[in-house]
Amino acid sequence: MKRILSIPALVCPILVANANPALEGDWMIELKPTGAPITGLLEIEREGDEWKGFVEGGPVPVTVEDDQVDILIDTRDLRGFIFFMHLKGELTGGELTGTFTVESEAKVNATDGTWSASRYAPTPRDSDARPVDLTGIWTPAPGQDFRKYTMDLTPAAEAWYAGYLMHYDQPNVRCVSPGITAMVAWGAYPFEILASDERLTFIYEFDSEVRRIFLDGREPPEFYPHSGMGFSTGRWEGSELVIDTNLLSQNIRDFRGEPISERARLEEVYTLSDDGQTMTAVITLHDPDNYNRPPIRRRAWTRNPDTEIYPNECDPDSFFRQMYNEDLLDMYFERSRRRF
Amino acid sequence: MTILARRFSCVAIACLMSAVASAHHSFAAEFLGDQTLTIEGTVSEVWFKNPHVRYYIEVETDDGGTESWDVRTSSPTILVRRGWNRDTIVEGDRVIVEGYRGRDGRKLLSLISIKLPDGTILHQSY
Repeated sequence: MKRILSIPALVCPILVANANPALEGDWMIELKPTGAPITGLLEIEREGDEWKGFVEGGPVPVTVEDDQVDILIDTRDLRGFIFFMHLKGELTGGELTGTFTVESEAKVNATDGTWSASRYAPTPRDSDARPVDLTGIWTPAPGQDFRKYTMDLTPAAEAWYAGYLMHYDQPNVRCVSPGITAMVAWGAYPFEILASDERLTFIYEFDSEVRRIFLDGREPPEFYPHSGMGFSTGRWEGSELVIDTNLLSQNIRDFRGEPISERARLEEVYTLSDDGQTMTAVITLHDPDNYNRPPIRRRAWTRNPDTEIYPNECDPDSFFRQMYNEDLLDMYFERSRRRF
Repeated sequence: MTILARRFSCVAIACLMSAVASAHHSFAAEFLGDQTLTIEGTVSEVWFKNPHVRYYIEVETDDGGTESWDVRTSSPTILVRRGWNRDTIVEGDRVIVEGYRGRDGRKLLSLISIKLPDGTILHQSY
């Protein structure tokens, strides 16, 4: 693992003269480190001589020269330490292939490896509903997710984020729901799916949260409040479960703390493996107030009949006690009005 | 559970138990991932609750006084699935803790391992 001394600017377009225009477009990228593979959407765009790159909706510096491409992806590990995956590769026969190295100032659990990318084309929506059995308890599985760290924020979101204080402003350190957008992509906790004719019920061990996914097309009641779990409706497109969630409360997207507005819509697409033992999800946040392009997360779970959902109550006493001991309570409460 | 029984259960589970740090807060916001410290002291309080289990440990200082350290571990449900429950470490236990240092010189550790009075060593992996 190499160590780097500075974090490069991620939003600067790269000027190149001799780039192969065939590099432009959307790619489905797969990284193969030691362990589970990581997949995600790579977008390479060109405006005149300016090239821009995005991975899972977040900006990445891209350098192209003839058929060669160089991409620097910022990410975080499970503990929140930032690191970079530096990809070098080339275009051969319509595919991108190459190697990547992990670059980090912190010691992180990540390895070097190889990567490849194929042209991405969205799968046409299947209007024929063929429900599959998702009921049971699901335990998070490794891999899948880039955990892209920085996103393509709007000026309003950048301004809000500039005042964000990591840890002290994160809702769940004081036992307030982090919201479904963060929850569905976080942690080592299982969740259980129950099914009935008109709804699915997801019971999360994390924070003992519960959400109902209505399958009968109903609208939320008048004046239904915004909340961390929001109001979810689902439909089957082929054998994929597509969930739309609205009426979300203001919250944060991930450890970095970028905001989510009350007008956000979360889309989750769940797919069951052929053997019924693995479930994957692509999670896309549509929030034009805060993001110029939607952030994407990916998760996988394995069916686990050998556990139960444990109670998971939270008491914020220790969070406030630490601030009391460190004489930080005034600072904390002076920031109350800007905190979600 | 008697002290003896509690000690026996600790020994029985020690070889298998390696709790994985949960990932719903940013560890990096509070701790240094490349600096560790070992302290020895007496458990003065057990906080076996979310958002994280904490053990408050009194450590004797060179001038004859004591200072209180806040030792953080994972969440209760992560620990209890591995047999580490609220009776595993109790007030009055003399322990040796290795952990990642808290930022800004705080008397705060994120537990890597803890050695109990009977020699049992429990680990948390990262």
